[in-house]
Amino acid sequence: MLEEKILEFSRLLRKGGVNISVTQIITALEAVALVGLAPDDFYTALSSTLITDQVDQHLFDKLFRLFFVTLARDDHQKAFMASTGKEKTNIPSNLVQNIEGKGMGRGAGASPYMLLVKAVREQNYSLLRQLAQMGIESLEHLEQEAVEEMDELMVQVKVAIGWYQAVNTLENIRLQEKVSEATYLRWQDCLSYLEEYIESHLEDLFVKEYGKEILEKIASAANIREKEFYKLDHLQILEIRKRIGKLARRLATKYARRYRRSKHGKIDLRRTAKEALVTGGSPIRLKYKKKVISKPELVLLCDVSGSVAMFSDFMLQLVYTIQNRFTYVRSFLFVNTIDEVTEYFKNNDIQEALDLSFAKARYAMSPFSDYGRVFRQFEKNYLPTISPQCTLIILGDARNNYNRDEHEFLQKIQEHVRRVLWFNPQPREDWNRGDSIMNIYAPHCRQVFECRNLKQLEEVIEAIL
Amino acid sequence: MFDSVEELHKKLNECNYLTDRSVATVVYLAIRLQKPLLVEGPAGVGKTELAKVLASATNSRLIRLQCYEGLDESKALYEWNYQKQLLCLQVKQNQTKSWREAKDDIFTPEFLLRRPLLEALDSEEPVVLLIDEVDKSDEEFESFLLEILSDYQVTVPEMGTIKAKRIPVAVLTSNNFRDFGDALKRRCIHLYLDYPTFERELEIVKLKVPGISQALAQQAVLFIQTIRKQSLKKAPSIAETIDWAQALLTLGVQQIDSEIVNSTLSILLKYQSDIDKVLPKVSSLLPD
Repeated sequence: MLEEKILEFSRLLRKGGVNISVTQIITALEAVALVGLAPDDFYTALSSTLITDQVDQHLFDKLFRLFFVTLARDDHQKAFMASTGKEKTNIPSNLVQNIEGKGMGRGAGASPYMLLVKAVREQNYSLLRQLAQMGIESLEHLEQEAVEEMDELMVQVKVAIGWYQAVNTLENIRLQEKVSEATYLRWQDCLSYLEEYIESHLEDLFVKEYGKEILEKIASAANIREKEFYKLDHLQILEIRKRIGKLARRLATKYARRYRRSKHGKIDLRRTAKEALVTGGSPIRLKYKKKVISKPELVLLCDVSGSVAMFSDFMLQLVYTIQNRFTYVRSFLFVNTIDEVTEYFKNNDIQEALDLSFAKARYAMSPFSDYGRVFRQFEKNYLPTISPQCTLIILGDARNNYNRDEHEFLQKIQEHVRRVLWFNPQPREDWNRGDSIMNIYAPHCRQVFECRNLKQLEEVIEAIL
Repeated sequence: MFDSVEELHKKLNECNYLTDRSVATVVYLAIRLQKPLLVEGPAGVGKTELAKVLASATNSRLIRLQCYEGLDESKALYEWNYQKQLLCLQVKQNQTKSWREAKDDIFTPEFLLRRPLLEALDSEEPVVLLIDEVDKSDEEFESFLLEILSDYQVTVPEMGTIKAKRIPVAVLTSNNFRDFGDALKRRCIHLYLDYPTFERELEIVKLKVPGISQALAQQAVLFIQTIRKQSLKKAPSIAETIDWAQALLTLGVQQIDSEIVNSTLSILLKYQSDIDKVLPKVSSLLPD
């Protein structure tokens, strides 16, 4: 029974993108046998044997809670709930009155956002929890499919408890009352606690309502390596940034090692022959050519409109983290006009550079991308300064908003540089649908890659290096 | 060695290593399952210390192998003492001996230089084998390590296979300098040590800096916990907390104010860029 549970749980983790080997599961079973089933020890036993990478810990915690706590408790509670009806947490009325009494409310009683502000300022975690409950109860019946729109649900709950208003108010208070950063950081802690609390309780609700099947959906939704870039929520974006940092480190060290491995390159015939003269014509000592590392020269053209922006952002982060692997990198941002941002990445922290580029570069005169115009501009303004040796990578979805495609300019670009690669963050089946004209541009590229999630990005990057 | 998690936890505490029960549980599992313990986490949270304490808690000898780029078998496992062999041959030059005899003479344990790994396997007494900063070694060494840590035996061609007399408690530490292979990771029990919570760190400071007042210790730890939330190149570690608290005590500080922090910040932060980042807002970061 227990074995089955642990196996099932491991399968769930795998769904979420965690690599778990059979050996690890066996070790986990042995570990559980050793420390027993006391909740904390059981958790530690599984986590220390199944999780080999710290980045997976968060997912492990979530699934552990849902699988071993919520699901198990639910079986007990179902019977109980049926008899007592739905449990409801109400905000104690005296609390509301309290606030009114202090004159913070404007007559009509305290609205949730004031309570939220109060809770954060006082770091009153139990009030935070009550507010979260209230927000969650404001939701209508949860459909099973809604689990895939967790973000949307979060927003609804937040609106119900006046989150956005509260955050705004807190910012104002911070400025007006000159709140110290130490306090402000504690406020932030409160807010992220609240956010996590809401999310975990929503998940709980789903699991209570729909049982096991929903768990698989939650697990695969959390598999960020295979989640499409534009579907990531903001926590996952932070997570991806971390993973990109890690990927970059791996690429950088891998390269260094391979280079160290072989000390020299091919035989240098000319120098060997010359050396052989000394030994009467027999080539006793071989001379080798120095090994030249081919460092690609890279030019990035990044579409930063709408859903592609996130992907471009990740790609820039990755490329600049491993900058030393390239002779040089030049980068351009565009929507319907193009501007170079290479300068911002000199002597700047990558995140700062990204912020600067998005803030300062002139890449959009309207929110709709216009590839044709951009290629024409690029060909005219920048192409003469681009080295013919370079690899030019275009990041974009090829959605041209029915503008002129001007593919002849892409052709000119291709003739000028060593190769043109195109990374498209949209699923392949959506190419050439609607205003996507990938098929018109594709013939002018050496290769077109589908690059919609971290996994594919990893593969593509390894391929071009 | 230990019969329960409680016992180990108590022992660790007695050796002045204050930690949570979960850490004790993981260590306990590694010992009982005879698997290597892989400790990861930011620099200065007490990864290496854990191994040292474990050695004294179990009355074992600590054998330490510090990894670095280019570390190879001859530095980690064994090497023949070439000079000594040469000397031996010279001494025996006059006695005419067959090649076989000579060979048997000089490839004996006497001429074997034991490096940490062989020493750990060959030891009669219980051993804690600390392989420090595994992430600094290169890939070949990693696969070599894998072999030893899964079978606890090595083969010396001239002498045959040496099997561990008793299985050492192996502790590997890593700073995540590079990612190492899945194979090695899968053989280990994992422990992630993070910066301690406020309460835990306060306890540690009071233990390691005797004589510090409760109020001062609280202020100091609170400030450090706030600093860790800033995005820094290197956040202050526990060791730095202790050093700082010690410095505050020595300076006779009663109350931490921005002036004191400004003049002692270099104890906490080791990078100039970090100091530049924190310095302008010290007063704002201090606990109210």
